[in-house]
Amino acid sequence: MGRMKFLCDAERCIECNGCVTACKNEHEVPWGVNRRRVVTMNDGVPGERSISVACMHCSDAPCMAVCPTNCFYKTEEGVVLHDKDQCIGCGYCFYACPFGAPQFPNGPAAFGARGKMDKCTFCAGGPEETGSQAEYEKYGSNRLAQGKLPLCAEMCSTKALLAGDANVVADIFRERVLRRGGGTDAWGWQTAYGGGEQKREQKREREGQK
Amino acid sequence: MKAFFMRRPGGALLAVLLLVLTLFASAPPVRAADHAHTGSTAADQAERQQERPGNNAPVWRAVRSGEAHFTTVRGPEAGVLIQAEGNSWRHLRNGPITVYGGALLIAMASAIALFWLVKGTMKLHGARTGRTMKRFSGFERFVHWGTALSFLLLAVTGVAILFGKHVLAPILGSDFLALLLTAGKLIHNYVGPVFGVFLLLMILTFLRDNVWQACDAIWIRRAGGLLDGNHVPSSRFNFGEKTWFWLGVTFLGLAVAISGLVMDFPNYGWTRGEMQIANIVHAVGAIVLLALSFGHIYMGTVGVEGAYESMKTGYVDETWAKEHHAIWYEDVKAGKSGHP
Repeated sequence: MGRMKFLCDAERCIECNGCVTACKNEHEVPWGVNRRRVVTMNDGVPGERSISVACMHCSDAPCMAVCPTNCFYKTEEGVVLHDKDQCIGCGYCFYACPFGAPQFPNGPAAFGARGKMDKCTFCAGGPEETGSQAEYEKYGSNRLAQGKLPLCAEMCSTKALLAGDANVVADIFRERVLRRGGGTDAWGWQTAYGGGEQKREQKREREGQK
Repeated sequence: MKAFFMRRPGGALLAVLLLVLTLFASAPPVRAADHAHTGSTAADQAERQQERPGNNAPVWRAVRSGEAHFTTVRGPEAGVLIQAEGNSWRHLRNGPITVYGGALLIAMASAIALFWLVKGTMKLHGARTGRTMKRFSGFERFVHWGTALSFLLLAVTGVAILFGKHVLAPILGSDFLALLLTAGKLIHNYVGPVFGVFLLLMILTFLRDNVWQACDAIWIRRAGGLLDGNHVPSSRFNFGEKTWFWLGVTFLGLAVAISGLVMDFPNYGWTRGEMQIANIVHAVGAIVLLALSFGHIYMGTVGVEGAYESMKTGYVDETWAKEHHAIWYEDVKAGKSGHP
């Protein structure tokens, strides 16, 4: 199985918030928690661009690195998941995340009583038994186990949001860029998957294949 | 004003400088073109779209700037797309603070243990008289032990939060560590403000007797008599104790308490950047404070005979008072308050 990634095409996103709604509905996330959000720059004026953002499932995930209880883990598909039973709600993952992905059911509460962190799972559930009620209640539905991709991307009316195997996603985007002759930036990819860490990871993979 | 400038020797220089600045200011075409390549406003993007369709560089610059944009989702800093500081914070915390902080704590504990093994407990030179003197009032002891107990709870839980996954998880397993830290974080977050209150009481209670005096100079010159074993006459608190009060309790204590309150009450709308800085201040301050506290706890327990009983009972033997705080002893004997 490949490496899963999100890609949001800023040339196509129309800020319909369909992905936000689809995500909330699919996973029955608590009030106040939005695993995905749409941010618009230059709203309402020429030059407007929108981006749908959630956990990008980074190669070298900062949340994973700072968690005091090591509650994060990475699946074979490169999806960053966490164990809510081990989460203490310290908020460090929220400090560290570049994308503002970690969410807390109680919000920024007094005495740091945030509750257990909740974030995008790439529709891949959590550490509970796959497809179980416990998994659904804590992490939402496990679409990946059913052979489906994340609902936000599946629902996207303009196909701005792509989710799936990194190579396939990158190929689709490259083709679009060639056809329209612009809009070359794969938003957030440098932050999430770029840098020295990713190059080292790729090198390890190559050496492992030999 | 004009006359003022004329009189000054640097007047000519200033005039030249003004002239140069005026020349730069009177070259708007160059500046505007420059602006178009680096700007990140909506107008820049609109202009760029006309020049080169599909080029979103001004928008990406706006994204990287870390400023908030429009979003319908409500949440702390939901409008910010990328905050780059998080990664710097992560590398500072996981790198130098964990490594050097851990090394400092181990080194300090080892040095004190080694000192104790070599020098042993500092015994009284003379025999006890059996007559006691009042050293600490009931309120002072309440404040001390309140601060001490809350400090120890915070120290144990705080150390577990920073070093637990490196030290405890391999031994106890990550599930048990998570259980410990769930309780630990609750204790840390609720005892923290209690420590803050005790800390303020502590500073106010002991402030007067910790003001520096002339006799402290002798203590400094003789390094507290730590090496030659002879006592230096001092008033109610010696310079070592005063240093602990000012550097440890007051400066580091307040730094740790204030930075802790920032993180403990995110409901006041602190940004992630502010909480990252608070976390760095908190971690560095707490580790240095803990290392210094090892010294204080050593001196107050096994390091010096009679020190622990003074804070436990509030009374010291006259021999102890004469040997450790000669000036204070004389003052009390002379019928003064004992305060300098």
